[in-house]
Amino acid sequence: MPWRRVVITLLIIAPILALLAFGFTRDARYITSPLLAKPATPFTITLFDGRTLNLEDLRGTAVFLNFWASWCPPCRSEARDLEAAWQKIKDKNVVFIGVALQDTDKASLEFLKEFGVTYPNGRDESGKIAIDYGVWGIPESFFIDPQGRITYKHVGGIRAAMVTEKLGEALQGVVSVKEGKGEFQSVR
Amino acid sequence: MALRVLFIFLFILSGRLEAAPAADLDEQTRALAAELRCVVCQNLSVADSPSEMAQQMRASVREQLQAGKSPQEVKDYFVSKYGEWVLLAPTDAGFNRLLWWLPITVLILGIITALWFVHRWTAKKSQPAAPEIEPAVAAQLRSEIYLKELEEPALEDSGPRAQLLRERLRLKNELDELEFDFQSGKLSESDHGDLRRDVEGRAALVFQELNALPPPAKIKEPAQEPPARAAKKPVPENRTRFRRWQLAAGGAFLLLFGLALGILLTQSLRPRTSEQDTLTGDFLTGTSAAKSDIRSALDEGKRAFANQELPKAIDAFKKVLAIEPNQPEAHSYMGFILVQAGHADGALLAFDKALAQAPNFPMALWGKAMILYRGKKDYAGARPILEKLLQLIPPGEDRQEIENILASLPGSGSSGQGASSPRSSIAAISGQSISGKITLDAKVKGQANTQATLFIIARPAGAVGGPPLAVKKIDRAVFPLSYSISSENVMMQGTPFTGKINLTVRLDKDGNPATRAPGDLVGDYKNNPVDVGAKNIDIVIDRAL
Repeated sequence: MPWRRVVITLLIIAPILALLAFGFTRDARYITSPLLAKPATPFTITLFDGRTLNLEDLRGTAVFLNFWASWCPPCRSEARDLEAAWQKIKDKNVVFIGVALQDTDKASLEFLKEFGVTYPNGRDESGKIAIDYGVWGIPESFFIDPQGRITYKHVGGIRAAMVTEKLGEALQGVVSVKEGKGEFQSVR
Repeated sequence: MALRVLFIFLFILSGRLEAAPAADLDEQTRALAAELRCVVCQNLSVADSPSEMAQQMRASVREQLQAGKSPQEVKDYFVSKYGEWVLLAPTDAGFNRLLWWLPITVLILGIITALWFVHRWTAKKSQPAAPEIEPAVAAQLRSEIYLKELEEPALEDSGPRAQLLRERLRLKNELDELEFDFQSGKLSESDHGDLRRDVEGRAALVFQELNALPPPAKIKEPAQEPPARAAKKPVPENRTRFRRWQLAAGGAFLLLFGLALGILLTQSLRPRTSEQDTLTGDFLTGTSAAKSDIRSALDEGKRAFANQELPKAIDAFKKVLAIEPNQPEAHSYMGFILVQAGHADGALLAFDKALAQAPNFPMALWGKAMILYRGKKDYAGARPILEKLLQLIPPGEDRQEIENILASLPGSGSSGQGASSPRSSIAAISGQSISGKITLDAKVKGQANTQATLFIIARPAGAVGGPPLAVKKIDRAVFPLSYSISSENVMMQGTPFTGKINLTVRLDKDGNPATRAPGDLVGDYKNNPVDVGAKNIDIVIDRAL
């Protein structure tokens, strides 16, 4: 009889403690994206040079999609790396697209000029593209394989080596198990 | 006239007819946005958040509703992009069902348990009074019920006597348990009295019935025993041991649980230090407890630094570095403090430590660049650092200042003096300085007060009386101390810090530069006067006033 009481007490307390312990291991603010391995939402963006770019037209090409803002320090920190990565692999079957959000045209253009960014960039004025991609921290980068699937997502600043490595995987259609996390992000 | 009234009425009506759906749409948007979590805020709904992201999400909600999507479809859209995290109220399905139903279940179980206890308590109170026991039976009861051995009926015997004997045994056990519970403090005295009277009453009835039965062939009369002694009869040994074990285990568990709860709570809860901060810091998000200590110590240090309470700031940053020896921000602030104290080389070391850990840390880059540029006139060294900094700082006042400095730099590798002197938050270190080391002589070491203020006083050679040319104040100096005194420390702004200087130092107990009190320690440079620009001017504090 007393043993039964001990066992019943433990059976009640143990799950509550386990639930608490599980809660301690979670980052309540981090939003895990449900988009990995899902089809990338098509969008059309007007680039700063006036051209229009449609994601659907880039089927058969691996796409690196980067959301940035000129006011965001980690975006400034990664800008030269992204351009370096673009220069390194632009002749392969890849396209880089930069999407400025929560920013003005003037500040965005100054940013592009300052860092000598040459790959296509445009501004997501309404934030629709960002919401379609579940963006919550800036910068965020998405890797899309030639079939149009999101293979990897990186929240926060990213380095050139990671960009080239993940684009290589995207070209082969390799989907990462989980998203990556940079050192820091900016939100507004 | 009638036509005009009709026209106005129709106009108002048409306006209302048009406004109604718009108001509905606004209301629907607001209601739906209130169910969505703002993705860049903490515990704010999209409806309540003023952030740009939330505004865009609200617009998206409205647009989708306008396009004819149902509220559920709009919610599904956001869930497909951000996961269920985006819903302020999780869906009532799968594992989430536990979140919805567990509290209700626990509440219901709690109410049932409370009701059961109340019922038991009231039932106990409202039990009819035990029947009066005849004195003879009471005596028999006291003498027999508390005895060790009571007659046990044969197992196969199911006669009325055997049944009464079994009931008598059961009641005896009940009384034993009551006694144990009372002695172990589980029962109050009044409860114990009530329950005991009740059981004894029932036992008395059993005795009466037994007495009424014809005596068996062999009745073993138990020996008389004084009731007081019988009442204290201990419960069986094995049961006592087991209950003690139970109590010990329960106590140990409660102690451990309390300790765990205490430790977890003290480590997880703390005062919020900023609007962005959470009550639990990073503890609940998986980072170590030391991280929250670092953050609070860093904040404390920064506040102290801003108030120029340098000893307090040093203590705070040292605390940070004790937890995380490579913390770049703490190293950077230590660098700035060292700059203020005139330790340019020590400051450079601190900035380098910060940069070794975080090569793009703007604060350390700025500090290092300023020392190289202003203190050491190493323009070639300062330029790449400033250029790197320029890439990291968004357009604004700070960036403009860096650009100004870069523009004012002479060609790389030059060490000319032509640079302008732009505004800076860092104490400048002039090239026109005297530097060296201050030490405490062994004979006055015991008299040195750790809280005392050190004054480094520069007077023009040959001057008699009057104010000094320059004074540098260092709180709570630690010896040996590297110092530098320059034009930054002149008493009258604009006075040139040139020529031959007599240097003296005073370790002042009350920190007042104007008073020289007994007990203050002093020292002069032994080869006074010195030329401005001289280095390695070491001064020994060697006498007390």
